Amino acid sequence: MTTCIETKKVSKIFGGLTAVNSVDLVVPEHCIASIIGPNGAGKTTLFNCISGYYVPEEGQILFYGTPIQGSPTYMVASMGIARTYQNIRLFGDMTAIENVMLGQYPRFKASWVDAVLSTSRERNEEKQAVQEGRRLLKFVGLEGLGDHLARNLPYGAQRRLEIARALANKPRLLLLDEPTAGMNPQETDKMTHFIRSLRDEVGITIVLIEHDMNVVMGISDQITVLDYGTKIAEGKPKEIQSNQRVIEAYLGPDVTSLTKKYQLRKQQRYDAQR
Amino acid sequence: MRSSALDKGIRTGVIFGIVIVTMFLIGFTVAGAGLVGKFFGASSSYSTPSLVYFVIFMILIGAWAGSSASTRPLVEADTFKYAATTGVSAGLISGLFAAVIGFIFGTLSANRIDPRTYLPSVSPESIRMFLFNQNALTGSLMLLVLLTASGLAGAALSFFLRNSDRVKSGARKASDSVSGIVQSQRVSSVVNNPYSRYVFLFIVAAVLIVLPRTWGGYWNYVFGTVGIYIILGLGLNIITGWAGQLVIGYVAFFAIGAYTFALLTAPEPHHLTWNFWLALGIAVLVSALAGLLIGLPILNLRGDYLAIVTLGFAEIIRILLKSDLMTPYTAGPRGIRDIAGPSLLGKSFLSDVDFMYLIILAVLVVTFLANRLQNSRTGKAWYAINLDETVARATGVNAFTSKLLALSLSAGIAGLAGVLFASRNQFTGPDDHALMVSINVICLVIVGGIGNIPGIFLGAFALKGLPEILRETESFRLLIFGVLLIVMMRLRPEGFLPAKRPELEKASAQNTLEKEAQS
Repeated sequence: MTTCIETKKVSKIFGGLTAVNSVDLVVPEHCIASIIGPNGAGKTTLFNCISGYYVPEEGQILFYGTPIQGSPTYMVASMGIARTYQNIRLFGDMTAIENVMLGQYPRFKASWVDAVLSTSRERNEEKQAVQEGRRLLKFVGLEGLGDHLARNLPYGAQRRLEIARALANKPRLLLLDEPTAGMNPQETDKMTHFIRSLRDEVGITIVLIEHDMNVVMGISDQITVLDYGTKIAEGKPKEIQSNQRVIEAYLGPDVTSLTKKYQLRKQQRYDAQR
Repeated sequence: MRSSALDKGIRTGVIFGIVIVTMFLIGFTVAGAGLVGKFFGASSSYSTPSLVYFVIFMILIGAWAGSSASTRPLVEADTFKYAATTGVSAGLISGLFAAVIGFIFGTLSANRIDPRTYLPSVSPESIRMFLFNQNALTGSLMLLVLLTASGLAGAALSFFLRNSDRVKSGARKASDSVSGIVQSQRVSSVVNNPYSRYVFLFIVAAVLIVLPRTWGGYWNYVFGTVGIYIILGLGLNIITGWAGQLVIGYVAFFAIGAYTFALLTAPEPHHLTWNFWLALGIAVLVSALAGLLIGLPILNLRGDYLAIVTLGFAEIIRILLKSDLMTPYTAGPRGIRDIAGPSLLGKSFLSDVDFMYLIILAVLVVTFLANRLQNSRTGKAWYAINLDETVARATGVNAFTSKLLALSLSAGIAGLAGVLFASRNQFTGPDDHALMVSINVICLVIVGGIGNIPGIFLGAFALKGLPEILRETESFRLLIFGVLLIVMMRLRPEGFLPAKRPELEKASAQNTLEKEAQS
C-alpha cells in the first residue's frame, strides 16, 4: 500500500516549549487516520507543520515520498494538501461559491493580463470554476446557498463549506481539524457519514483531529495519540481503547486505582443485589 | 417630576444652540445664507447675501431642531402635545443660545468694540445680519421668537408627516407605483434588451463628448482634477481596497510618474523633448517599477509595514526633489516648466477641451482595467488576502507575488495620473506632491465605498468637485469634510456605495436553464 503522508521524527519547538517532539506518523493512502490527545498535546501544531505554516526544527515530512517540510504554504497547497480549521476560517465577506472558486486557485492559470484582455483561457477557466463550484456546493448539500455571504451561513453549513473549499483543489490529502466541534449528535452523525463517503467515493486520504470519541472510534482506520508533543500510542481503535497509557493521559496517573475501585464497587453492588 | 418631552426638547435644543453659536463664531451663518441664496438662484457669491436668505437659513435650522427633537417617543403615546412640547422647547432653548450670543455681540458692536481682533470671522456685517439689522435687544428677541416658531413648525410638520393617513397612503402609493414601473414587464424588457445597453452607452458617450465643449475652461479644469483623482482612487483601490494593504505614501508614485514624464519632455534641465506617448509609457513603467522595488523587501511581511514604508518613501521623494543635491537633475524647488502636451501625428492638442478628452479617455481605460480585474481569479486572490492572508496562502495563493502585482499596478496607475497632471499644468514642482494628495485619495476611496468602482467616482466628485461647486464654503472646507466623515461613519460605515459581491451561482444556473430550454 502506498504511503500518503509520513512524518519522520518531526519536532517543533517554541522557545523553551517542545510542542511536537520527534513524532513519527505513517498514513497509508485511502485511509482515515485520527490524531487524538488532551488539550495542548500538539495536534494542531503537527497539522500546521504538515500544511507548511510552521517549519519543523527537526525531522522530515514526506508527501508521497517528496519532502515538503520548509516549502511555503501555497506550494504545499498546490501539491494537493488541503485543510480545514478548528475555528472556522472562511472568507466571510465573499459568497459561498466564491470561497469554493478560490479553493480551485492553484488549478487554473489565467493571469491578470488574461483577465484584462478577457482571453478565451480566462473565460473558459471562469466558467469551469463556477460549474465546479456549483457541483461541490451540491456535493456538500449547500445547493442554492452559493450567493449568500459565507459569514451569513449557519454554523453547520459553514463547516461544510470549509470542507467544500478544501476539496475544490482536488487534494490527495485532507487535514480536518475538529470537523464536528460544536455540532449536536445528529449533525455529528451526518458529518461522520460525510467524511466516510469522502474516502470511499472521492478516494482521498483523511487525517483528522477530533475530541468526540464516538466519531474517532467509529470511522478511524488508525489512531495516533499525542500527549505533551510525544506520540504515546498508535493502532486500531480497539487497541487504543484498552491502552493504559492513553487512559492515563486523558484521566490522570491515578486512574488505575480509580478504575479498580470503580470495578470493585460495581462488583459489590452486584453481589448485594443478588 | 420632569416631563420627558421637555427633557428631550431641552437636550436637542442645547445641541442645536451650540451649533448655531459655533456657526456664528466661525462666520458660517453668512456662508449658509449664501448657500440658500445660491439655491434660489442669487448670483453674487462673494458679497454679503440678502437678509431674506439668512431668515430662511435660520428657519431651516429651527425646523430641523424641532423635527429632530420630536421623533416618535419610545414609551409615551405619540400625541401632538408631545411633539409640540419637544419642538417648542428645542426651538426655545436653541433660540436662547442664539439670542444671548447675538445680544452680546450686538452690544459690543454698538459700543464700537470690534470682536475681529479675537474672532476674525465675526465681521460687523455678519453681526448685523445675525440681528436682522435691528439693535441688540430687538434682534436677539426676534431670533428667539423665530427659532421657537420654526421649532414648533418643524415638530408639527414631522408629526403630521408621520401620522397623517393621507401622507402614509400617498407615500405607499408612490413607492408602489415606482417599484411597479421598475418591475413591470415593459421596463424590464427594455432594461434587459441588449440594445438598450448600447443606447445607454451612446448617451453617456454623447454627454462626455458634448460637455467639455460647452461648459468652458473653468469647469474643464475642475472636472479634469476630478478625473485625475478618480484615476488615483481607482489605482489606490487595487492595493488598499482589494488587496487590503494600506499605502499612505501613494503620492510617491504620482510624483515619480509626473517627474519622469516632465524630465523626458521638458526642454529644461535635460534638453529632452521626447514624444508625448513614448514618455507617457515610460513614466507609467518607471512608476510601476518603483512600486515593485518598494514592495520587494516588505510585502513578505504582514501588517502595516507597507503603510509606514511608503509614508517614508513619499517624504524622501519630496525632500529629494526639493534638495540642492538633486537640483541639477530635477530643477529643485523651482520645479520643471514647459512640459509637453499631448500630440498625435504632428498635431498638438493643447486646449483645455482636448485635454479633458484625454483625461476622460484615461479614466475610461483605468475603469475598464479595474472592472476586468475586480472579479477575476487575480482579483479574488487579492480579496482573499485582504480577508485572511493565512487561509489564502493555504488555498494556494502566493500572497507575496499577488501583493507585489497589486502594488505595482497601483503604482503604474498613479504614474499615469502624475503624467496627466504634469502635462495639463505644463509644470510640476515638489509642492504638487505633498502628502495631502495621498490623504485626499485615501479619503475619497473610503468615503465613496472601499473596493467599489462607482463609489470611487462618487468619492472623487464629493471630495474634489463639490468644494469647487460650493465656493461660498471654501474656508469651511475642512470643517465640512469633518462633518461629512462623521455623518458617513454614523450612517454608512462601509462608504456611500459599499461593494457588493456578484451572484455567480444564480447567473450560472440561469445559463444552464436557458441552454436546456434551447436544446
